[in-house]
Amino acid sequence: MSEQPVIQIRNLRKTFTMGKQKVHALAGVDLDIAPGSLTVIMGPSGSGKSTLLYLLGGLDRPTSGTIQVNGRYLDQMDENDLGLFRRKSVGFIFQSFNLIPSMTAMQNVIFPMRFTGVSNKERQKQAARMLSQVGLAKRALHRPTELSGGQQQRVAVARALVNNPPIILADEPTGNLDTTSGFGIMKLLSKLNLEGRTVIVVTHDMRMCQFASNIIYLLDGLTVSEAEYEAASHFEIPEEEPEEV
Amino acid sequence: MRFWDLVSLISENLRRRKGRVFLTAVGVVIGTAAVVLLVSLATGLQKSATSNLWGITDLSRIDVYPNYGEGMYMEAVPMGGGGGGGTTSNVKLLTPTVLDEIAAIPGVKFVIPRDYMYGQGMIQFGKFETWAGLMGVKTDNLENLGYELDRGSMELRKGTIVAGSWVVQNFYVPNLRPGQEMPELPDILDQRVKLKLTKWTTDGQEVSRTVELKVVGVLREMRNEADGSFFVSMEELEAWNTWFNNGQRINRNKNGYNDVIVRAESPEVVMDVTQQINDMGYMAYSPQSTVEGINSFFVILQVVFGGIGAIALLVAAIGIANTMTMAILERTREIGLMKAVGATNRDVLTIFLGEAAGIGFLGGLGGALLGWVGGYALNVVSMQFLASQAQQQGYMSTGLTADTPLWLLLFAILFATLVGFLSGLYPALRAATLEPVTALKYE
Repeated sequence: MSEQPVIQIRNLRKTFTMGKQKVHALAGVDLDIAPGSLTVIMGPSGSGKSTLLYLLGGLDRPTSGTIQVNGRYLDQMDENDLGLFRRKSVGFIFQSFNLIPSMTAMQNVIFPMRFTGVSNKERQKQAARMLSQVGLAKRALHRPTELSGGQQQRVAVARALVNNPPIILADEPTGNLDTTSGFGIMKLLSKLNLEGRTVIVVTHDMRMCQFASNIIYLLDGLTVSEAEYEAASHFEIPEEEPEEV
Repeated sequence: MRFWDLVSLISENLRRRKGRVFLTAVGVVIGTAAVVLLVSLATGLQKSATSNLWGITDLSRIDVYPNYGEGMYMEAVPMGGGGGGGTTSNVKLLTPTVLDEIAAIPGVKFVIPRDYMYGQGMIQFGKFETWAGLMGVKTDNLENLGYELDRGSMELRKGTIVAGSWVVQNFYVPNLRPGQEMPELPDILDQRVKLKLTKWTTDGQEVSRTVELKVVGVLREMRNEADGSFFVSMEELEAWNTWFNNGQRINRNKNGYNDVIVRAESPEVVMDVTQQINDMGYMAYSPQSTVEGINSFFVILQVVFGGIGAIALLVAAIGIANTMTMAILERTREIGLMKAVGATNRDVLTIFLGEAAGIGFLGGLGGALLGWVGGYALNVVSMQFLASQAQQQGYMSTGLTADTPLWLLLFAILFATLVGFLSGLYPALRAATLEPVTALKYE
């Protein structure tokens, strides 16, 4: 791709300490993501794909390596700058929606704008526009418990969009949904991508790949080729003989 | 984050958990009410104590007495009267020269010696009479002493007399027949009264002398020593005292005065002037020092009472900290979300501090109200109780038991808010520094 990548990751490592054991969630990842692409990050659980997504969104800090987003190094930002970065540049979508139960769909969508100083009128307008964009204009005054899983995730998508970020980060967005609503969310993400946003989706739902412009395979904290990934997922476990005691 | 967004978010969060916020605030209400009520009680006691203080109406006044020093106990120094003595170096007498020195102290307005009559006298008015508690003052106007006039005038000249407020009620008719009603005393203002002086010669002979005086004024009740005295000019009194002393005149240059009133230009300089006179070696005493002593006692009482209330508030503070810590555990995912959608650590800190301060504020508001109402109720009850007591024992009650000044209410609300804020510090800091990823995954 000739275009300057919107995200550049170099030798990214993230190590967690669990008790006395060190777990290398990311063990030196290099990655370029082009603006306007829809990148799917595939990998089994424990491959470090969610960790990678959170690092991209500035929700977590790397152990070493650099993350460059729009020319700015996230690894060098302080907490305050990271907060502002998340506010302006990225929108998160989570597997478990993370809606605030006491708030209506509208209030949930407005929530991110309460930290920005946008006028009240503008907030209402913007949130209403986002809700109708995800097809939930009529459900604006319902609380999350009164909405289906797919609808809840749509509210979450609207919330992610409301500050108009150029990058959307989705962590297993279809993981808690039935196949139909999951597919609806995938189409919605694809639509956002076609409107010009960079979308990065972490999933192990193979159907997402048909919308992807770019697929990244992660295994044990490292990017691998599709062939290697295939090989690993077809690895057969030899049947163990029952041990005699 | 804009201020109003913050306020609305905080109030929403508080409303979301009404029950818990209410229970936590009740603790603050009790603490604040205790502080308000106890401090009101101390303030009320102080007010009724100072209002009952004997004779402290004039804060510009300083009473100065001679200092007989240690010598007072070693040798018999004659009081007033004739005799010599008073030459020991540590005996400081108030001679006219000394009075001039005192008058020269900056801030001193008047230096007025007083003296009592050294003998017996009766004041007679028609068939009425009364014992004459006579006082001579070396000034031509009692106003200079800070006395207040009820009617007539306070000017003292030869042949005039001014009566204190109570003495005019002490006139009685001697030798009333049993069953005969005491007639009412006519107004003695501008009337002539007779002062009958009596002394005994060495061989036991009674000698009397009568002086006619005109009552030119009656003083207002000031609840001090002036109420029970008649006032005449010093020259007149000294003449009578000389007569009592068998013609021997008191030498003020040698014996000084026993009682001098110094009046300062303003109450503000009184303590300073008192100090300077004391430094000169005389015994200066100002009512203001008593008032200050009493006031400082009540300030201590207020602090102690307030401190007892503050213990309740401390317990409430722990309650707030506890509630907030729980709230943060419960809302961990929400905090993670707030961070994910762009809240900075400072935003999170401010929100949770605001919630804690909000609980403190609500509790403070309720507590101030409860304390105020409680003080009022206490007053009503104690008024009734004191009134019934007073009726049984036959005196008037002046009892106001609790006094809640506005500043106390405002202070209590502010203080409760501050307590809430401080209790919120630790939980809010914990919330602000939560790792967003950990917070989002918290179950």
